[in-house]
Amino acid sequence: MIIEYHRPNTIEETISLLSREDPCTVVLGGGLYLNEKVEASIAVVDIQNLGLDTIEKKGNKHFLGAAVKLQQLINQDKLPQALIKSVKHQETYNRRQVATLAGTAITADGRSPIPAVLLALDAELEMIGNNNKTELIHLGDFFPLREDKLESKLVTKIIIPSNTKTAYHYAARSPADRPIIAVAVSQWPSGRTRVVLAGYGDQPVMVLDGPDKGGAETAARDAYSQAGDQWASAEYRADTAVVLVRRSLNQIAENN
Amino acid sequence: MMLDLELNINKETYQVSVHPRERLYNVLRSLGFSSVKFGDEHGKSGADTVLMDGKPVNSYLLLAAQAEGHEIETIELMGEHPHLGWKETRGLHILQQEFVNTGAIQCGYCTPAQLLTAKELLSREPDPTEEQVRDAISGVLCRCTGYKKPVEAVLRAASRLRGIEVPPIEDPIKAPPEWINIPPDDSIPQEKTVQSVDGTTLTAEKVITTLKVSTKPEDWQQVGKPKVKVDAVKLVQGKPAFAADFEHRDMLYAKVLLSPHAHARIKSIQTEKALEIPGVAAVLTHKDLPRIPYSTAGQSDPIPGPLDCFSLDNKVRFVGDRVAFVAAESEEIAERALNEIEVEYELLDAILDSRDSMKPGAPVIHDEEDYVNFADSDPEKNLAAEIRIDIGDLEQGFKDADHIFEAEYEVPKVQPAHIEPHAVVTYWDEDDRLVIRTSTQVPFHIRRMIAPVIDLPIKRIRVIKPRIGGGFGGKQEMLVEDVAAHLTIATGRPVQFVYTREEEFIASRSRHPMRIRMKTGVKKDGTMTANEMYALSDTGANGAHALTVTGNTGHKAMALYVGSGPYRESPNIRFYADIVYTNTPPSGAYRGYGVPQGYWPLERHMEKIAHNLSLDPIEFRMKNALQAGEIHPFSIAWSEGRDPVPEIIQTNGLAECVSRGKEMVGWEQKMSDKKWQNVPGKPYLKRGLGAALVMQGTAIPYLDMGGASLKLNDDGSFNLLVGATDLGTGSDTVLAQMAAEILGVSLDDMIVYSSDTDFTPFDKGAYASSTTYISGAAVVDAANKVADKLRDRAVLILKSRSGKPDFIRDEIELSNCCAIAPNGQAVSLEEIALHSLHHANQEQIMAVGSFVSPVSPPPFAAQFAEVTVDLETGQVVVDRLVMAVDAGVIVNPVTASGQIEGGMTQALGYAVSEEMVYDELGRAREKDFRDYHIFEAHEMPVLETLFIETFEPSHPFGVKAVAEIPMDGVAPAVGNAVFNACGVNIDQNPVTPEKVWQELTGKKSANMPE
Repeated sequence: MIIEYHRPNTIEETISLLSREDPCTVVLGGGLYLNEKVEASIAVVDIQNLGLDTIEKKGNKHFLGAAVKLQQLINQDKLPQALIKSVKHQETYNRRQVATLAGTAITADGRSPIPAVLLALDAELEMIGNNNKTELIHLGDFFPLREDKLESKLVTKIIIPSNTKTAYHYAARSPADRPIIAVAVSQWPSGRTRVVLAGYGDQPVMVLDGPDKGGAETAARDAYSQAGDQWASAEYRADTAVVLVRRSLNQIAENN
Repeated sequence: MMLDLELNINKETYQVSVHPRERLYNVLRSLGFSSVKFGDEHGKSGADTVLMDGKPVNSYLLLAAQAEGHEIETIELMGEHPHLGWKETRGLHILQQEFVNTGAIQCGYCTPAQLLTAKELLSREPDPTEEQVRDAISGVLCRCTGYKKPVEAVLRAASRLRGIEVPPIEDPIKAPPEWINIPPDDSIPQEKTVQSVDGTTLTAEKVITTLKVSTKPEDWQQVGKPKVKVDAVKLVQGKPAFAADFEHRDMLYAKVLLSPHAHARIKSIQTEKALEIPGVAAVLTHKDLPRIPYSTAGQSDPIPGPLDCFSLDNKVRFVGDRVAFVAAESEEIAERALNEIEVEYELLDAILDSRDSMKPGAPVIHDEEDYVNFADSDPEKNLAAEIRIDIGDLEQGFKDADHIFEAEYEVPKVQPAHIEPHAVVTYWDEDDRLVIRTSTQVPFHIRRMIAPVIDLPIKRIRVIKPRIGGGFGGKQEMLVEDVAAHLTIATGRPVQFVYTREEEFIASRSRHPMRIRMKTGVKKDGTMTANEMYALSDTGANGAHALTVTGNTGHKAMALYVGSGPYRESPNIRFYADIVYTNTPPSGAYRGYGVPQGYWPLERHMEKIAHNLSLDPIEFRMKNALQAGEIHPFSIAWSEGRDPVPEIIQTNGLAECVSRGKEMVGWEQKMSDKKWQNVPGKPYLKRGLGAALVMQGTAIPYLDMGGASLKLNDDGSFNLLVGATDLGTGSDTVLAQMAAEILGVSLDDMIVYSSDTDFTPFDKGAYASSTTYISGAAVVDAANKVADKLRDRAVLILKSRSGKPDFIRDEIELSNCCAIAPNGQAVSLEEIALHSLHHANQEQIMAVGSFVSPVSPPPFAAQFAEVTVDLETGQVVVDRLVMAVDAGVIVNPVTASGQIEGGMTQALGYAVSEEMVYDELGRAREKDFRDYHIFEAHEMPVLETLFIETFEPSHPFGVKAVAEIPMDGVAPAVGNAVFNACGVNIDQNPVTPEKVWQELTGKKSANMPE
């Protein structure tokens, strides 16, 4: 239950609020997650006044403000099309107007398309803590310990590379349904290849980060060899993951 | 801590003081913006949409505090009625006008949200593509329309806003004249002598149409025309028309504590802590209420099922069952009170698989002594109902066959998922009568059924059915009314109770899941000699609709194929069913009412047989299909628990549906061109085409009764009061069209009201595809009586003008709001009204009509599906759905095609994505629209409808039913199309990727016939 609402105008004020021990205080991006699910008594800090909704490209990187709305991404033709495809897959038009990129990434579950693509892109979170220092953390390092990593900190940006080829493929009961199995693959000009699986569990899983695509299919099959739940068997997911990895790599190769 | 906010809503500033957790939705509703609706807790339905700084957002997922500093816009700002007395109005916005014109509005619950998203789209993209429109409205779920007409409305509005004229709305399908209006076949006998299943001789009732229509079909001005819905202007403005829109001083809000256990006895329940919470007005448990067994099924008296429900019981029988009721000053306080009720349960073994229900030693779910049996229900065996129907000599039929095909099939539990949840408000009126304003399909049944449960006589209960935001059978139940009524009785105060979406999933009613075994005998030439179906139907924890839903599974599906040659004369059919209790949420009525469960196995089975015998699948079906002039085989054996009476099929356009449907879908061309199946550049994709033939019924003969009253007003307009309930189907409109046709007036002159048990005549309600047929005939009856009185009065007036007239009453034509004599003399209906009410021999010209039918004429249809199957992942994408349907004369092609499109879309979910699954503790997997996926606007296949019109002689306007039949054939057509694409048979719907993959990879043993 939300017991306090704050809308600070500065990062410092925000960090100060987030640093309080009591009440438990968390960032409110668009509010979709907090308004849906949180039952504990919390204070929220609405970051809509912090100017964190910019999109910039510098060098080989895109800097996406934490409060960028998902809909803002849709018309950014410089962004990886796989990311935009995942945005359209994850949320309908209404929810895209409110959902923030950082909020979506932070609250991801295993069936969320966007975090899967961000993980394949080896996205970094830029965070500011109560010492006012900026730190970067890779999304892959963030997921396993996300509650600890967020303590008294504000995510300000998500940084993704601009020089990768990326693909996103999935299988679902209908085109707009949540994926039962999804694959995101990114490949850098050097050949570095990252493969991420989604559709199961509480977060997407990175199964390969190698100098090339070698072993991607085997890694995908192994990673989901136990990924059975009420929605699909592990055998199906593992088998289909291989198919989708192959398609993703083929798509990237064709685009090259 | 309260927050003082300044909110800018519809260009006005509002000062509000709210708690930080307050949702924008609640603030808007409390300020009177009733167009903003609750659809779900997760923003998936989008009914709560408002514009914030011009962008559509979900107000239920937005804190009021987040909205401060932004401009909020609701539909109330968009437009208004074009005529509001002397004051000039803005009129309706062009978008609103086009939603009205195109028939984009069915129940209207999601309409404000769709309009707002469309407005935002057109503000940034004046010339949108269809894809852009679909994306823009993707966040607003519509369970009624299939999105086709809303998309069309937005595109038309966009054109008009750019200054481009759009053509008038005409029939949605421009069929050549020779396709339509197939005349009744005079050679068909209306009387036949047959033997019943027990050998007695029966004579089929002669179909006698006692009602007349005023003109020939080609002269009709109202019937058969795409008239604008009579309620469209109200709904397009988001008026407070729905049950929860009602406001009352001192209103309390109800919540129900639901069971966390599938099967348990309540050992103790303590409410003291809950009652201590400030703002809690009442907490009721089973100890507080009279123990009255009842059925929740909204059906005619006597209820054809066991009485096995109690408002509150000392036992819970499924996760989601009722434990206690709370009424409090707010929903939030009521929820807090629920958490403070202390319950000690004694856990009992649960039955979660219907195959276990009748095993020896199984737990007895209904062990209460006051259980009231119906027919063959046997609670000790967990048997809610049993059906044993034998027609002909099945065993001889199997002996005659060259091949016997056997297979098992399974259909899942699915949800009606109307976007408006169940909602009710109850209060004592000034005469101490209990008023129940409720979102129901069956107001008169509710009044009758609730009376003993709350210990009030029927005459002290008034049920008002306001506008309904979709029902689809889900509101043919008494689920919320008794909760609010008990709490009003306990507190003396008005009580509102609205289900959450989670409660809809775990505590309301759903389609019966079934396991079905088929056995069919066929000769080499494709002649069916015997057909047998056994259904194990899971009624869940209660037996409402247990007998009748499952009976329809056989009655409608197994009647379609009677065999050929001598077998056509004397078909051999068996339908047996056991309907058993389990500790899962109760099953109930859902659009199609058991029939979709029958057509999945039947039409998959027919496809497999045809393939096995190398027969053309459609020719094989047609060879054995029921034809006009034949006795409906089940009419001699079963009638929803009542005595059967033989019925002759008078009209059957199935052959025309098949031939025209095949043309429409390009059947021959695609089936003969294997290249069509390939997708260029994607060798792992294969296209497929499938068909299913179906029939439904139209009402329940000798039982379903509709009533209507018509009253003439001073200006020549009419009040049409009907007990029928328009759930969004357009029934108010088509009923008004029939009355207007007979009375010679325009639809503008019909003021339709439905329904209120104090004022409107009885009608059994909206179910069994009956309203247009039954209630429509009642309207015709009333209109004919009024018409006669109008003619009498016209003769009187004309006589007073010119002496003795040279014509008689029956020669007077009612047309153009006038009564016109053969000699051309005319008197307006306004003159007649003033004369009859004020001038001479005063009387109120009005009449009441009613109708009950001796027959249930079946509509027929051919349904087609085109799919693309991913051979590697098993994913099935449905590309196109086509339905050619004989539903008799179509009264309003726009509303009727809307019914078809919406029905096909619901059935599409049944085909590929919708199912309700429970874990080992009986807990639901699907509790929201995220996991229970219903189709969204941007993922829809092409939908096409074709009406093959026949004239059903048992109805004055020749109509049959249209509402339920689109549910029947989509899933098997999709299953058959998947088989056509990749050669695998899926026997359990929905056709999910993994099921296809299992068959493709051979990882599951095939269930092939013979």
